[in-house]
Amino acid sequence: MFRTTLQRTAPSIRLVVTSGQSRPNSNVPPSKLEVFIDDKKVHVDPGTTVLQAAALVGVEIPRFCYHERLAVAGNCRMCLVEVERSPKPVAACAMPVMNGWKIKTNSELTRKAREGVMEFLLMNHPLDCPICDQGGECDLQDQSMAFGSDRSRFVDIDFSGKRAVEDKDIGPLVKTVMTRCIHCTRCIRFASEVAGVDDLGTTGRGSDMQVGTYIEKMFLSELSGNVIDLCPVGALTSKPYSFTARPWETRKTDSVDVLDALGSNIVVSTRAGDVMRILPRLNEDINEEWLSDKSRFSYDGLKRQRLITPLVKDNKGNLVPVEWEDALVTTSRALINANGNIVGVSGGLSDAESMIALKDLLNRLGSEELYTEEPFPISGSGTDLRSSYLLNSSIAGLEQADLVLLIGTNPRYEAPLLNTRIRKAYVHNDLEIALLGSKVDLSYDYEYLGESPATLKDLAEKRHAFFSKLSKAKRPVIILGAQQFERQDGAVLLAQAQQLSQELSKNVDKGWKILNVLQQVAGQVAALDLGYKPNLRLSAPKVLYLLGADNEAILKNKPAGTTVIYQGHHGDAGAAIADIVLPGAAYTEKQATYVNTEGRAQQTLMAVQPPGMARSDWKIIRAISEFVGVKLPYDTLNEVRDRLTDVCPSMTRYGDLEQANFLAQASDLAKDLSFKSVSTPLNVKQIALEDFYMTDSISRSSPTMAKCIQAVRKQKESKYYESRI
Amino acid sequence: MATREASKHATKIVRPLLSSDKSEAKKRVLNLYKTYYRQIPLMLFDRHLPVTKEECQQKLKEEFLKNKHVTDVRVIDMLVIKGQMLLQEIVTKWAQDCHVMSLFKDTVEHKQNDFLSKFINSNDSQ
Amino acid sequence: MFVNMAFNLIKQSGGIAIKKAISSSPSKGLFTAAVRSSKETRGLEKVYEKNEPVLLETDNVIGKTPLMAVQNYIEVADKVDISSLTGVPEEHVKSRLVKISKATKNVMQSGTDNTHNWVMEFDNRERWENPLMGWTSTGDPLSNMKIEFIERADAINFCEKNGWKWYLEAEHKTKPRPKSYAINFSWNKRTRASTK
Repeated sequence: MFRTTLQRTAPSIRLVVTSGQSRPNSNVPPSKLEVFIDDKKVHVDPGTTVLQAAALVGVEIPRFCYHERLAVAGNCRMCLVEVERSPKPVAACAMPVMNGWKIKTNSELTRKAREGVMEFLLMNHPLDCPICDQGGECDLQDQSMAFGSDRSRFVDIDFSGKRAVEDKDIGPLVKTVMTRCIHCTRCIRFASEVAGVDDLGTTGRGSDMQVGTYIEKMFLSELSGNVIDLCPVGALTSKPYSFTARPWETRKTDSVDVLDALGSNIVVSTRAGDVMRILPRLNEDINEEWLSDKSRFSYDGLKRQRLITPLVKDNKGNLVPVEWEDALVTTSRALINANGNIVGVSGGLSDAESMIALKDLLNRLGSEELYTEEPFPISGSGTDLRSSYLLNSSIAGLEQADLVLLIGTNPRYEAPLLNTRIRKAYVHNDLEIALLGSKVDLSYDYEYLGESPATLKDLAEKRHAFFSKLSKAKRPVIILGAQQFERQDGAVLLAQAQQLSQELSKNVDKGWKILNVLQQVAGQVAALDLGYKPNLRLSAPKVLYLLGADNEAILKNKPAGTTVIYQGHHGDAGAAIADIVLPGAAYTEKQATYVNTEGRAQQTLMAVQPPGMARSDWKIIRAISEFVGVKLPYDTLNEVRDRLTDVCPSMTRYGDLEQANFLAQASDLAKDLSFKSVSTPLNVKQIALEDFYMTDSISRSSPTMAKCIQAVRKQKESKYYESRI
Repeated sequence: MATREASKHATKIVRPLLSSDKSEAKKRVLNLYKTYYRQIPLMLFDRHLPVTKEECQQKLKEEFLKNKHVTDVRVIDMLVIKGQMLLQEIVTKWAQDCHVMSLFKDTVEHKQNDFLSKFINSNDSQ
Repeated sequence: MFVNMAFNLIKQSGGIAIKKAISSSPSKGLFTAAVRSSKETRGLEKVYEKNEPVLLETDNVIGKTPLMAVQNYIEVADKVDISSLTGVPEEHVKSRLVKISKATKNVMQSGTDNTHNWVMEFDNRERWENPLMGWTSTGDPLSNMKIEFIERADAINFCEKNGWKWYLEAEHKTKPRPKSYAINFSWNKRTRASTK
């Protein structure tokens, strides 16, 4: 029958949740087991599976259904290996090793087992390789060449033929050709464990078994694209990428995603100057092997609404394309005439190099007004203490937590890969989660504490009932969404959160940091590190220099008497009000530094050249500086990075997490503030899945994202849609 | 600090290519230069090149001075060997007039190396 | 093998003195005979005219040159720069950046056979679609230069030798995680499988 979690069947039962094995009075690590794999001795911890032990030796056992990050299923049987003195071959992915086992991964029996499994899989598999997108990167192709037999005994084609299954429609992102499915159940396990959306399953059995949602519904998850990576065959492929390229003709460039604040590592596959697709890259500390849908599928927005020539407003008020020299001359004239009354604004997708160049330029012209679009309280310690605006526990560190309090944030859509971590800890390490803010559908169960900011005040002053639970936790985590700083009492919220974490830090493990701030955009941490001031209040300066700033709420009205210079890559809200438009490069088109929300600096690499006459952002500012007369002291990327290192040494140590300290001092500085609390409920911008898809200039120009929003809205009207809030 | 200083002066013992010390290498270089210098009028006599003897001599000097920063004896030896090979090709007419003229790079557009020209004309990540 | 090499060398040089040298000291090794043959060009025949076996001592042979030279070794700086020899145009030495990293695994597949090497790649320059056939054209001679090394140090040495600026990307290792089939059936944990 349908196995379901105990929580679902009998939610009233209070479970006794133990944290892992409890070994009685033992401080000694367990002795290692001795195993022989192909006559090579290896010592492994007890509980290691045969497959893992073989991997330690360097022997890779073929498999279809096993995936490191998913539960063990053991249904493909490709990993069968011979163990001496065992009557049957053993499924290496599931069987824990015993002491003294001799495992033969290349014996007659093993090989026969593999050929047999391969034969069965291929018997019902359609001959789709020429039209299948997975060709060239297909596990079935590779393993049949390496481990399968060279001839088939399939004669049933003259009688009942091969099995055929109808395609299922699970959304505009994942293309399904279910005939190719080999029933490995990786997608089902992913949807259930990692995405938290229990929609995929199997119906029927035997040769009538079908993998799907049974009733036709869309796979409503922000991580739905990952099943494309997981599926070993071409059953689940990327719909936008279908029939566009073959993997051997693409060039892969390692890079970093900037559409959210996490900086997930990606691989940009390009062919002849166009981005073909974006795939995730392994990084255990940030995104493991997953990637959110927005980062994965927005690449077609890189081709639409692009700024490809410099534009200058003529006397009729129309923006006309001009050459670079003209644009630079006009810009420099405006900057010189401004006489220091210049305001610079950096947007969410700005990289550190262009931000430091802009700051240097504006400082040399006599202006200190450089702001970020995103807000942050400047009272108390403000942005001086780095720990006030970072995710201090680090993304990987969240796995160790035992209680998470989310305040005014919806991590599911603001940072999907952070949510994956929380869910991973929820499933494997029995993490408890509480939410204070809008009631949203997170992919796990949580305790709802309401949406009033007064609750936070009560918690900070130890009045609230939930405080007892918090104080008992050994490693609590408080995640405060940066969006709440837009409120008038944002400073109060931060102060109260700091106070609460100070209270809790008395009982926690040494060195554990409690308070975290989840940023919304990729460029915020780098901007604050470099000295940009948050909270842009738009006055009427002589020149307003927008560095990729596209926030419609701030920029809806052009301030009178201001020359607006917009430097960015998409024609969005910023370019709409601009007098001079300078075309910059998007994140796949420049080598740039981004610091993610936990404080880790990473760099994107240039995969393709920017279109038309667009240039790298820092180079535009450097060129302007030469025309203005205050030539900046760097000519090459290395020199800019030397300047970055001067200002913030951790910013060029790519890949290293630079932790921040002084949490106690930040809390002390915030104590004596007299700000009034506002009683409006804590809201988040991204509540439902359709709010997730378009949040920045690249995803707003992407037709795939538009299709996703349409499909989600349509699905919500269907009779099979059940809201989980 | 000390190790960094030491690594600047770190040396290794290797087999030589031709010369065993700088003075010997210098002799080879000068020998090569003189041979080229004496070959120039013969080369111009043999071929129809649009350059004068003075231009050739200047070019020769330029090419030799391009590598004046090289300090490793083996690299100098290798450069001398390559120079000898080129000389052989010029003398035996294995290299035609076009190959000799390509050394002068007279049809190559000189790339401007200042920031603004590179900014306007090209777009590389560095 | 060494015998043949030395003999060939000797044959090329010729000379009675050499033959005498060979015959007189077979046990010394033909190496030393080869060394002596090269000394011959420096007009040292007089030294070898004597018929007695000549011991290879520095004072005898060339007159106080350092011992290393006689044994055919020289001392050079540790850092070698062969960028003037390789034929790579100067702009592609000075303005290029090399990335040394462990080969990235393709997420679409589970095989790891080609992820063990250290790969050295250059920064990307412009590539465009050729209008004739749609193939990829580029003006960058180093666009396909992707060399794989077994050791990280080899890659770094190669870059240093050729004069390229390089940077290293750290290896991303997967964390070994405990896997157990039994947790799918745990009665009190959330790891209980809820779907097939």
